[in-house]
Amino acid sequence: MRLICIAAILWLGSVLPAFAGLFKATEFTLNNGMQVVVIENHKAPLIKHMVWYKVGAVDEIRGKGGIAHLLEHLMFRGTKLVKSDEFKQKLDELGAEHNAFTSFDMTVYHQLADISKLEALMALEADRMQNLAFDREAFNAEQKIVYQERQQVVENNPASAFNERFNLLLWGNSPYGQPITGQNDEIMALTYDDARDFYTQYYAPNNAILVLSGDIEPQLAHELAEKYYGKLPAAAIEREEPQEVKDMFKTTLEMSLPNIQAAKMVQKFLLPNYRNLKGTYFDYLVLAEYLGGGETSALYQDLVVEQEAVLGVAASYHYLTRGNSVFSLALRPNTDEVFDRVWYEQILNDALEQAMNNFTSDELEKVKRKMTADLVYINDNPEDVAYWVGYALAIGFNLADVEGFVEGIKNVTLEGVQEAYRQVKSAAWVEGVLLPKEGQGEN
Amino acid sequence: MSRRNKHTYWGGYLWRLAIIAIVLGSAFYYGPRFYARFQHLPIEEILISSPLKNKTFSATVQQVQSDNLKAYLLEEHTNPIVSLSFAFQNAGAAHEPYDMLGLTTMLSEMLTAGGADYDAKTFKDLCAEYGIKLEFATTADNFSGTLQFPKEFQAKAIELFRAALYEPQFDEAYLALVKKRQLLALQLQDEQPAQMLANKFKQFVFAGHPYERNVLGTRESIAKIEVADLESYRQQKLAQDNLLVGIAGDVTVAETEQLLKQLFADLPITAKTDKLSPLEIETTGVKQAISRQTAQDVARFATQGTFRNSVDFYPLYIVNYIFGESGLNSRLNKRIREQEGLTYGIYTYLAIKKAAALIEGSFSATPENFERAVAMLRQEWKRLGNEGISDEELAQAKEALIASYNLRFASTAGIADMLLAMQMYDLGIDFLQKRNDYIKEVTLQAANAAAKKYFNTEPDLMYIGVIDTKENE
Repeated sequence: MRLICIAAILWLGSVLPAFAGLFKATEFTLNNGMQVVVIENHKAPLIKHMVWYKVGAVDEIRGKGGIAHLLEHLMFRGTKLVKSDEFKQKLDELGAEHNAFTSFDMTVYHQLADISKLEALMALEADRMQNLAFDREAFNAEQKIVYQERQQVVENNPASAFNERFNLLLWGNSPYGQPITGQNDEIMALTYDDARDFYTQYYAPNNAILVLSGDIEPQLAHELAEKYYGKLPAAAIEREEPQEVKDMFKTTLEMSLPNIQAAKMVQKFLLPNYRNLKGTYFDYLVLAEYLGGGETSALYQDLVVEQEAVLGVAASYHYLTRGNSVFSLALRPNTDEVFDRVWYEQILNDALEQAMNNFTSDELEKVKRKMTADLVYINDNPEDVAYWVGYALAIGFNLADVEGFVEGIKNVTLEGVQEAYRQVKSAAWVEGVLLPKEGQGEN
Repeated sequence: MSRRNKHTYWGGYLWRLAIIAIVLGSAFYYGPRFYARFQHLPIEEILISSPLKNKTFSATVQQVQSDNLKAYLLEEHTNPIVSLSFAFQNAGAAHEPYDMLGLTTMLSEMLTAGGADYDAKTFKDLCAEYGIKLEFATTADNFSGTLQFPKEFQAKAIELFRAALYEPQFDEAYLALVKKRQLLALQLQDEQPAQMLANKFKQFVFAGHPYERNVLGTRESIAKIEVADLESYRQQKLAQDNLLVGIAGDVTVAETEQLLKQLFADLPITAKTDKLSPLEIETTGVKQAISRQTAQDVARFATQGTFRNSVDFYPLYIVNYIFGESGLNSRLNKRIREQEGLTYGIYTYLAIKKAAALIEGSFSATPENFERAVAMLRQEWKRLGNEGISDEELAQAKEALIASYNLRFASTAGIADMLLAMQMYDLGIDFLQKRNDYIKEVTLQAANAAAKKYFNTEPDLMYIGVIDTKENE
């Protein structure tokens, strides 16, 4: 029962065999519209069983922030057939490692278990898709628990006030600017009926994706999916597409907060959704990897190793979202210097220009090799694959898109990456600076 | 229509009607109740009739020997990759010279920052381009590492590994950077209240023992460490006789023998290491506070536990599982989280080091909930010590622990870690075959003896948060 704010979980690196698909997954759809993906891995008698609902925090009504996440918790509080305190007990007795998470675009329930327990997991999961029956007592307890969760995971981090304000500036009115947990007062104002309504509105087989990754053949998987999920009735689901933010702006946020020990600077650029980009998202992934993917990247080598101007710099590109995709740069200034925002912005800009001027086809090929070399490990753990495929499909990708990851990277050209850079530099963006409060951070 | 019924008299008919009425009435009354009794998910029946129930699996661990070197191996030829986990025992942070704290963390960074003719960038580029993953790390007890490589690039992996281990460049300029970054990491630890508390709690529980150290060192010690210190530590502490290796993946016994030789045979035979003096902690329910502005108070608590090979281990393992380690089903979570909503979660675990064994736990709660959560923790602690666990709890815990047995085989990296742990704790090469029996054999009597023995004293507790100045505990 966790929150995942960014799709960082599935950034496993990249891919290897270009011929067959990366995952060699099989997909089919049940009569009620439930999508099923099977990824075989027979090295151990294990199964990762995941149900991805295509609903998340962005689907909440204004003022009802946190309902998607609260409902995720209530999904563990019993059904018409399973008593409130029995559900977790049963999963435990099955020896399943289980959890759930809520993100902006999806809500996900998952277990890792011995393959012999799969049918029981499917029975339990299918049951709570249709028969959820938490009582008011459970609702009250879970409301308090998600409130405590926000205090622990978000508010106890001294940078959280900065992070949340930064998101508001970047996203304006978009739901992607709101915290997945909901605000404190929103959480405590949510009602039993809000949770029931959200469940009725969005939880149905035709709004869900079943991912089975592990020791199972597609045919048997199909039979079992039919047996447990196939008989659930489809429902009329109305889900709005999130609006892309199209405003043009540059905003700067500077905050000094108690308990912050060292300064950091972040720049985030709002780009179109991956479907509407100029070029492909692979161009932007390669750009991020080249500029700031680890210690051998261009920016790190220049600013950290050569110039010794900063202690860390990184770039990343987040494209697995139904909203705007986001390109990010983050920088850790030297701790023993007084922070000068304009100077750091200048050296970062110079380093970016320099890096793009030095970008050759040799560099491009090297980056591509790095991005695809460790995909040989992708089938080592059936869990990793399940996350990657499930996440992409829940966003709206086709299986073929996901399978073609290596091909996509290989097809990236120098011109494509240069164009991606120009797009980033002409996008709306926010620069945020977080500083220690006067007199702190030098102990 | 049967003619035979034509002359049925009224009495007979009424009698039948009465029966029907009773049957219908009962159906209306008992029906839903009767139905409800069977309205459950027939989990047992589903499992018994599942075509998946008979999948068998056996994993055989082999010991591979090459002169002074040995390793545990689990062959897994599905994917063309090899995963190694290794540890140099008694070479971790607790074994650093007392004025050079943070040295092993620094060493772990510097070993992969260039070796032989490769500078740091080239070295890291090559690793990334070939999909070779090499990392060193330190714990209090051991200096450890992991190496993973695609089978087709084994030669390159060996070359890079040897460059790192035998010919690290220990470049002065790079060391200066690593020091600055280590100092930053040290500073950032104090941003997160839970991390700050973990550090302080270690100092409190292990006061005066090397286990109290922060693996990142101190501001002063980081500044002091020089290339020569890294070099002499490497030469003295990384040797064959304190090395343990676990290997899993696409590799045979013969190949593993070769691999061991190529990776480790040029290490000195003997390490200059010392064992730490064992430490028993005595707890009396002391409560200590660190003052800080936070949204939630964060607490850690601990008491004396038992070592991995003690006869008490499995009984205590199960008792602790029921008490605080089984996630949301644990006694603590059921009471404090699920029923009351006082916290997002509370857990306990057995924290076992070479020279100390604790039962440790943690939770956080907003200030208005905090005291109540602490009181409940203490109540549950006492209840466990006084009354132990029930037969039903024991049976459920055993079922869960046995049913989850295979999860350890999810990845070759995880398997290599497990093979390393089997050697570190001296569990025997047949541990995987015996493990479920160890669980099964725990009796209620043994479990409750362990509950009584280890939960009879109150844990010491430390927390960080907004301190009530009136409080004077």
